[in-house]
Amino acid sequence: MALRNLGRNKTRTGITVFSMAFAGFTMILYMSLVAGFFQTLEDNTIGLDLGEFQMHAKGYRSDPDLYKRIEDPASVIRTASERGFNASARLYGYGLAAFGNSSAGVMLRGVDLENEPKVTRISGSVMEGSWLDRADPKGVVVGKKLARTLGLKPGDELVLVSQASDGSMANDLYKVRGVLKTVGEVVDQAGFLMSDDEFRRLLVVPTGAHEVAMTRRNKDVPLDAATAEASKAFPGLEVRNWKQLQPILARMMDMMGTSVKMVIMIAYSAVGMIILNAMLMNVFERIREFGVMKALGVSPARIFLLITAEALLSAFFASVAAAGLGAPAALHYQRHGLDLEMLTTSMNVSGMALDPTLHFRLTPAALGMPIFFMFALVVVATLYPAMKAAVIRPVEALHHQ
Amino acid sequence: MDEDMIRLESVSKVYREGRIEVPALSDVSLKINKGEFAAVSGPSGSGKTTLLNLIGALDVPTGGKIWLEGKDLSALDRTALSQIRRDRIGFVFQAYNLIAVLTAFENAEFVMAIQGVPAAERRDRTTAILRDVGLGGLEGRRPDELSGGQQQRVAIARAMVTGPAVVLADEPTANLDSHTADSLLDMMEELNRKRGVTFLFSTHDPRVMERARRIIRLRDGRLDSDEITKQD
Ligand SMILES: Nc1ncnc2c1ncn2[C@@H]1O[C@H](COP(=O)(O)OP(=O)(O)O)[C@@H](O)[C@H]1O
Ligand SMILES: [Mg+2]
Repeated sequence: MALRNLGRNKTRTGITVFSMAFAGFTMILYMSLVAGFFQTLEDNTIGLDLGEFQMHAKGYRSDPDLYKRIEDPASVIRTASERGFNASARLYGYGLAAFGNSSAGVMLRGVDLENEPKVTRISGSVMEGSWLDRADPKGVVVGKKLARTLGLKPGDELVLVSQASDGSMANDLYKVRGVLKTVGEVVDQAGFLMSDDEFRRLLVVPTGAHEVAMTRRNKDVPLDAATAEASKAFPGLEVRNWKQLQPILARMMDMMGTSVKMVIMIAYSAVGMIILNAMLMNVFERIREFGVMKALGVSPARIFLLITAEALLSAFFASVAAAGLGAPAALHYQRHGLDLEMLTTSMNVSGMALDPTLHFRLTPAALGMPIFFMFALVVVATLYPAMKAAVIRPVEALHHQ
Repeated sequence: MDEDMIRLESVSKVYREGRIEVPALSDVSLKINKGEFAAVSGPSGSGKTTLLNLIGALDVPTGGKIWLEGKDLSALDRTALSQIRRDRIGFVFQAYNLIAVLTAFENAEFVMAIQGVPAAERRDRTTAILRDVGLGGLEGRRPDELSGGQQQRVAIARAMVTGPAVVLADEPTANLDSHTADSLLDMMEELNRKRGVTFLFSTHDPRVMERARRIIRLRDGRLDSDEITKQD
């Protein structure tokens, strides 16, 4: 009977279902956009350079020093792998790079070419030229801003001067293999990347590493739990997750999360009003019809069930429509991204790169929340008028115009 | 035939509209036996509709008590009242009150549907009664595709098809030509004679009063006169 009533009044049903479906569709897209935005932000923050976790020898972080090293990075990487982490060792040093008449202080990094790609996407973030190669030990990759400061492009030769761990003067001639895209403020400004072998040779650091960066293989393990696990596995090292490494960024993302939640709540309330209004109108417009039914002997319980059933059916159709249109749209933008390049230039948040393409992400929550919310709201919005229609005296309802 | 079908004991009804009180019925006591064919008459605004609504358990009196087939209506809850309306009463509204989204046929079978009468039986009985009220061929029309008189007849069919104990009809012939009115009154008389269905009309139609065997007159919400005009 509920289904028949809906079918008979196509205009009214259409308006109700359409407004709910539209609301649901919008919310699915919006939630996907928010989920995608945070995923992208997190990926860019930790995925290009930072890694999800970093481990250092005790005291290195407060006072970075060529000599404070993790003794046996190979075994650390092995153990990490057994605990479900991908890990890669890094070496750091400082020097002066000169090209033509200009020079700049640089941050030298020795990269574990085999393991780094398992932890970050830096090897894929070359803007010009190509990434490091063991077969080309003198080929280096430099940060974007450093390249600009010195006027470097792939193929240019430059001089590097530094102090080796044995106190001797280290200097050598290098050739730019590649220039990185925006990766992060430090690397952009001063990044001077070479293979770990070359770093060890140049600065006379035969063993150890300054940093081991890691990521979870299973992202469902909570960050805090994984941090605790790693700390237990490496009691001699300082383990920090990205939120501890970048507290400002983490705070900022939390704050953005909160404000986005508020925006979502406001959006939901607006959408809620639409649905509430549609449902209330739907019942109150038909009070007379329900009054007739009551007068003819339909029981209050049945009136209540009828109204609720109609509302839930409408919500069901609206959900199908909202999900049927919203999910493919969100997935489309998840795959292709929504390019806002025309609107903005590169964005930079707290030294972390942001690309101007909006990546959607259709998470279970992005799909489920709007639909759940729609049903919850329909139930709430219907309960009162349905109850009212159930208990109203038939004459009162019949006088209702 | 002297069993009570309907009994009213000093029933009154006051409508309240904001701060204004409109007394529609005052101190009406009345008894209608099973099998009666009675008319309530009186000028417009005298309380006829109010009286029928109260008897039909569509509204509650502000004073007094009403018994239907011996049951005190004031002692029943909403669900019990809805059951009585469904199973014991056939109500013909002055404003027809057909359900707009349903066809003539569906309107006519509506009460049987909520009673749970099997579909086949519903179909047979509905088809027959719509033919009897002269609506054969119009079963599939919606109320807005029917004239006032045709809607009136659907409403009458709906009230009678279930075979209720009492039919309460509020000005049932107001929109009918005399031929149709006559044939409907014939039908009602037949139902009354053969099945003992009690009829209570409100009317100021002389055609109905002529047929009624008892005329109850209201004036300003008070019982004015009550006379048996014909003996069975
Ligand atoms: N729902 C209502 N609210 C207020 N006053 C009403 C209502 N229904 C009827 N009345 C008033 O009660 C009186 C009796 O009305 P009614 O029973 O409809 O008379 P009749 O059917 O004999 O024309 C009239 O004065 C009418 O205006
Ligand atoms: Mg009236």
